[in-house]
Amino acid sequence: MLFGRRNRKPIKILDKQVKEWKYTTCGYCSTGCSIEVGLDENGRAVGTRGVAGADVNRGKLCIKGIFEHELFEIPGRGTTPIMRDKPYLPWQSTNWDTALDKTASEIKRIQQQYGRDAFAIVSTGQIMTEEFYTLGKLTRGCIGTNNYDGNTTLCMASAVSGYTRSFGSDGPPGCYEDFEHTECMIAWGSNLPEQHPVIYWRLKEALEKRKFPLIVVDPRVTMFAQFADIHLPITPGTDVVLQNALIHVILKEGLEDRAYINAHTKGIEAVEACVKDYDPTTAARICGIDEDTIRHVARLYAKAKSAMSIWTMGINQSTHGSDGVVGINNLNLVTGNIGKPGGTSLSITGQCNAMGTREWSGCSGLPGYRKLEKPKHRAEIAKFWGIDESFFPEKRGMFMTDIFPAIETGQIKGLWLIATNPMTSMPNTPRIRKTLEKLEFLVVQDAYQDVEANQYAHMYFPAAVWAEKTGCFTNTERRVNLIRPVVKPYAESKPDFWIFTEMAKRFPNGQKIKFPETPSEAFEEMKILSKGEGRTLDISGMSHDLIEKARGIQWPYREGMEGGKGEPRLYTDGVFQTDDGKANLIPLPFIDNNEKPCDDYPFWLNSGRVVEHFHTRTRTGKIGNCNKFSPTPYMEMNPDAAAELGIEHQTYVRLVSRRGDAVVMVQLTQRVPRNMVFIPFHFHDCVNRLTLGLLDPYSRQPAFKQCSVRIEHVDQAQAAKLNAERRAF
Amino acid sequence: MNSEVKSFDGQLKSAGETQPLFYEAKRIWDRRPDEQPYALLSDCESKKQNRYGVKIDLLDLSNGAAPQNRSMYINENPAVGDNPNRNKQHGFHFTADNCIGCHACEAACSEKNGNPAHISFRSVGYVEGGTYPDYKRMNISMACNHCDDPVCLKGCPTRAYTKHAEYGAVLQDPDTCFGCGYCTWVCPYNAPQLDPIQGQVSKCNMCVDRLEVGMKPACVSACLGNALNFGVIENVPENREQILTQIPGFPDPSITQPNIRFQQIKSMPNEVTRTDSMPVKYHKGEDGQFKPVVDQKKGKATHWNFKRLSSRENPLVIFTLASQAAIGAFVALFLAPWLGLSSIAAFESSAAFIPMLITLFVLQSWGLFLSTMHLGKPMRFYRGFNNLRYSPVSREGLGIAAFMAGLGGFTFFKLVNLWLEWPLVDVLAQLAGGFAVIAAMGGLWYMHKSYRIKARPFWNHWQVITTFFGTCFSLGALVLAAFLVPVALLNDGDIAGLVRVLGAMAFIGLAAEGFGLYRHARYLNTNNGEGGASHYVQCTTFGKTYALRNGLLAAGALLALVLALAPVNAIAAVSGLALLGLMTLCALVIGRALFYVLVIPTTMPGAFFWKNKGFEEHARDIGLANMPQVGVVPHLH
Repeated sequence: MLFGRRNRKPIKILDKQVKEWKYTTCGYCSTGCSIEVGLDENGRAVGTRGVAGADVNRGKLCIKGIFEHELFEIPGRGTTPIMRDKPYLPWQSTNWDTALDKTASEIKRIQQQYGRDAFAIVSTGQIMTEEFYTLGKLTRGCIGTNNYDGNTTLCMASAVSGYTRSFGSDGPPGCYEDFEHTECMIAWGSNLPEQHPVIYWRLKEALEKRKFPLIVVDPRVTMFAQFADIHLPITPGTDVVLQNALIHVILKEGLEDRAYINAHTKGIEAVEACVKDYDPTTAARICGIDEDTIRHVARLYAKAKSAMSIWTMGINQSTHGSDGVVGINNLNLVTGNIGKPGGTSLSITGQCNAMGTREWSGCSGLPGYRKLEKPKHRAEIAKFWGIDESFFPEKRGMFMTDIFPAIETGQIKGLWLIATNPMTSMPNTPRIRKTLEKLEFLVVQDAYQDVEANQYAHMYFPAAVWAEKTGCFTNTERRVNLIRPVVKPYAESKPDFWIFTEMAKRFPNGQKIKFPETPSEAFEEMKILSKGEGRTLDISGMSHDLIEKARGIQWPYREGMEGGKGEPRLYTDGVFQTDDGKANLIPLPFIDNNEKPCDDYPFWLNSGRVVEHFHTRTRTGKIGNCNKFSPTPYMEMNPDAAAELGIEHQTYVRLVSRRGDAVVMVQLTQRVPRNMVFIPFHFHDCVNRLTLGLLDPYSRQPAFKQCSVRIEHVDQAQAAKLNAERRAF
Repeated sequence: MNSEVKSFDGQLKSAGETQPLFYEAKRIWDRRPDEQPYALLSDCESKKQNRYGVKIDLLDLSNGAAPQNRSMYINENPAVGDNPNRNKQHGFHFTADNCIGCHACEAACSEKNGNPAHISFRSVGYVEGGTYPDYKRMNISMACNHCDDPVCLKGCPTRAYTKHAEYGAVLQDPDTCFGCGYCTWVCPYNAPQLDPIQGQVSKCNMCVDRLEVGMKPACVSACLGNALNFGVIENVPENREQILTQIPGFPDPSITQPNIRFQQIKSMPNEVTRTDSMPVKYHKGEDGQFKPVVDQKKGKATHWNFKRLSSRENPLVIFTLASQAAIGAFVALFLAPWLGLSSIAAFESSAAFIPMLITLFVLQSWGLFLSTMHLGKPMRFYRGFNNLRYSPVSREGLGIAAFMAGLGGFTFFKLVNLWLEWPLVDVLAQLAGGFAVIAAMGGLWYMHKSYRIKARPFWNHWQVITTFFGTCFSLGALVLAAFLVPVALLNDGDIAGLVRVLGAMAFIGLAAEGFGLYRHARYLNTNNGEGGASHYVQCTTFGKTYALRNGLLAAGALLALVLALAPVNAIAAVSGLALLGLMTLCALVIGRALFYVLVIPTTMPGAFFWKNKGFEEHARDIGLANMPQVGVVPHLH
């Protein structure tokens, strides 16, 4: 009409003809966004939208969630179980009965031949809590191997360990709402806008309402670091030194909350003695943050009426990951910042249900945060399941990162991988290949048949994915949320819940233990197990329907509580899960054991996440509107360092470490220091060909983010060819 | 949906109590009862006119031509939205300080519009600067700016675009589009997206369906950094204080008066660079505005890169050269008697005259055919004349078509004249020929106008005139030579005279083109923006090729001058002409190919992979583009 047009052209805007929106919870990270999937009249998933009335995301979703409806039909899904005698033989399709029978008999054979613990199970943070509980029942109660762990050892183990050491139990004590109350926040090794963009948005909303100081500790100038009031570009692996120095200043200047320390903690003397060695002047030389800034941050944090710390892999994935978490807890305990609005230690979890596996899978013990080491807990569970107490080991077995070396040297002969892909996710890929080769029997259970770990498998179970199933996820702030099935499982794939239940029938104890028919019945079992005097992990007031109605409920939510709102915080009364109810203040002497840059390998190798990908790209690598933003691996490198070596932007280089090599495309940016390179971890056959992954002594979590490499020139045509070859998706 | 919603104080409430339902029986958009404030439009007041003096009330602006409460007929739905501001110009507001580059806006847009990976109505790129740890990256999210002066609408030959009196939305109808991609040339923001697979353009539709029910566009509602906003133009969003028209990396707003405003308060380094392959960076001027300057990303080494001369625009290389050759030859032939060029005029009586006319017709048809096949939807070619009112492409097309009609008519009547020597037939022939000449001049003029695009500084220079018209002379002379010289040789004609005239004609063409190019290069050397960047690529990536072309052009002009002035014998003249032909053809083909491959638009900065021409090229070369999820369209063969 404007510009003299009499005839307007028709306006056509895509109408997806959504007939029904189904409620579910996002299956990527642990933010825990409520999501609705739109189905057209043929029942096909055609769209997604954030649930506007859900407290966590309030209608928002990140790029991955926005395209989550596409993952049901992306290439690479497994259609039927497949098996083969040797990994070098071709796959044969089979049916579920045969597959399950064969697997059960192989597990039994290996256990009989080599011992009960010679068969290991490594699970995930990706499946539902009810499935974790069922897997725990199967593993602990029926199969009886003690070498059972989750891939959460690669991401959250240090948080679990640190929480447990400080507070006597796992469980993040804070919540997102703390952003609305805090007066100072430190983010330790967390790139919130990229890793957890919806949590970042919650923080941004809080900051726009009421500004408070934001301090970001990160060796890279991430967007988060750039937006911080103070960015602390720390030397990799030295967070504990900075934490000790902050506490040093706080104690020296009398800024601590002495009343809180006296009433609710023990061990202040040891911490006081330890931090004496970490005066800001000394600490500055180690951690690279100048002494004035250390003092300034310490005063800011301690003087704030409430202050909180969040952290992610920058802390967890290091040789002092558990110590780093304890250090954050020390800082918050000393300043009285636990269990109050805006005062907390909030670990920002990785996988959608890393919390669920921690709570209920029993991979580090027994369901419901129970420990194998406690006879009372063993008795409770054995009685509830109806099996002999002696079936349980008295001490937890190996962590994931110890299971692989045990395979390498022959103590473990069989392995069941559930929704995890160590071929891409574990440090030192060359060693993982060599390890998986040695297995007599490897079962891979995954939604995607093209998951790289399948290269060495004897048996593959096609699993249903995400909203093809029913169950719960627990998010970072202990909120239990519900996944309703949106579509039917793809082809012959089956929910993990069904696979575990069917497998249990093939073991003697499976006849004794009752395995519920449905996830909601399993949830009812968990509710009974969650009850108990002084227990924090109490879900007894919840039900699947109530969870959906409330768009997620935080635990504890005890029987009799009403309104669909659980406790937002733990330890509000200052009573902790330790034997005497007091939190532990633990001294943290710094041990410098990282592989640091040297003449032969002069660069720090750092790794991390990009927003458009999730983990090993088995999903996002096939969704074009995610993958296109980084379809091939790249490396951030400082332009000044590159100029010295004669390396150009957007060319390939070869990286060499003491483990192996990788070819990667260079992106020159001043985001990284001159002696560091950064590579996203999502890509197969890339960064983890190089990483060392020294293990944290407590959590056994690998230090993915600290090792050293050198950079070499490479023939560009050959490198490009190699790069294309290595991208199956 | 569940009828109960949970408010954030944790109480369960019935949805009906808290929010009324807005939609009617057939909703334009499914607005839920519990949509959050960030997703809702909230303009209470608005200004009378924008900073350029254009009325914001679009009913006012249309002088009553547009009625109030008119349905937009979105998907043929007659419902009328209840948005009280639906007749005001709306626009995006972007707080550059806040953008985290999370791609949620792009994703929400592509999800809503069902776009495949290689198409995006909104894109996020970035500029960066400083030295670690004093480093700044500024992400820029950009879609269509629904401009006051929509150059896309004006440029589109098919009239696929409408600027609506509702929201001032500039909407494009892919069903009308024939995929010429001209709108993608003229838009300074890379808003229209040409899909080489679909063969048509599509673009941001402002989510007018959401606007009709009072909701902000999908991208804005999805923003996780609180960077994107939307509302009546010139309104400052809540919690914001600036409505700037420019940020570093954003093209000169005077080109189109875009309806986007910015906030950018945090200080930026004085120089920011792009991570994509464009040799452009941005430098802060004395006025505090960032201006594009050349970034010598690839050093100063010169290369041939012959293969890279070939581009998607190859058909246009042929079309323009063939048209100019045909026009030049015909006009010379037609005007020769009037200009007293007897050596050319004499040709009319030869038996080769009609075949030559037919050859010119075929040459022109071939060019036109290739340029038509180059359309995404060639069968819709007839729509090319739909926008004579605004589009130089429509006028160019009409001019060329009319030239062909005139040329055809001229040929026809000349043919008839062979049998029927009626004076009327010759008059008709002369009328048709005259018409062809006039049409050709018009067509050529608009052919040149089609490239005078502000968003493409490399093209936007008068040398396009000297080159296009110069080519008429130079190539025209050679086409003439190909027919006239053999005929003159066979008929013992005036070879010397003919060579002098043709030499002079070629010289004029080559000299004009050379002079234009010389001045163009001088202009580019002082132009710091995208034009300068194009010239940098010309002098490095194609440095050797560029030098070869210049050498050929200069040598050709010299040779033509010698042929025009120096008395030479027939053999020397013929071999001289042959050599001239070869040199000129090489120079012009290289030159025209360079013309197309070198242009750097004023588009927004890209990212390292997405919207990075360098990576796209690499992904095609190594076969990565064959995976659709890479988001790069592979070589289409």
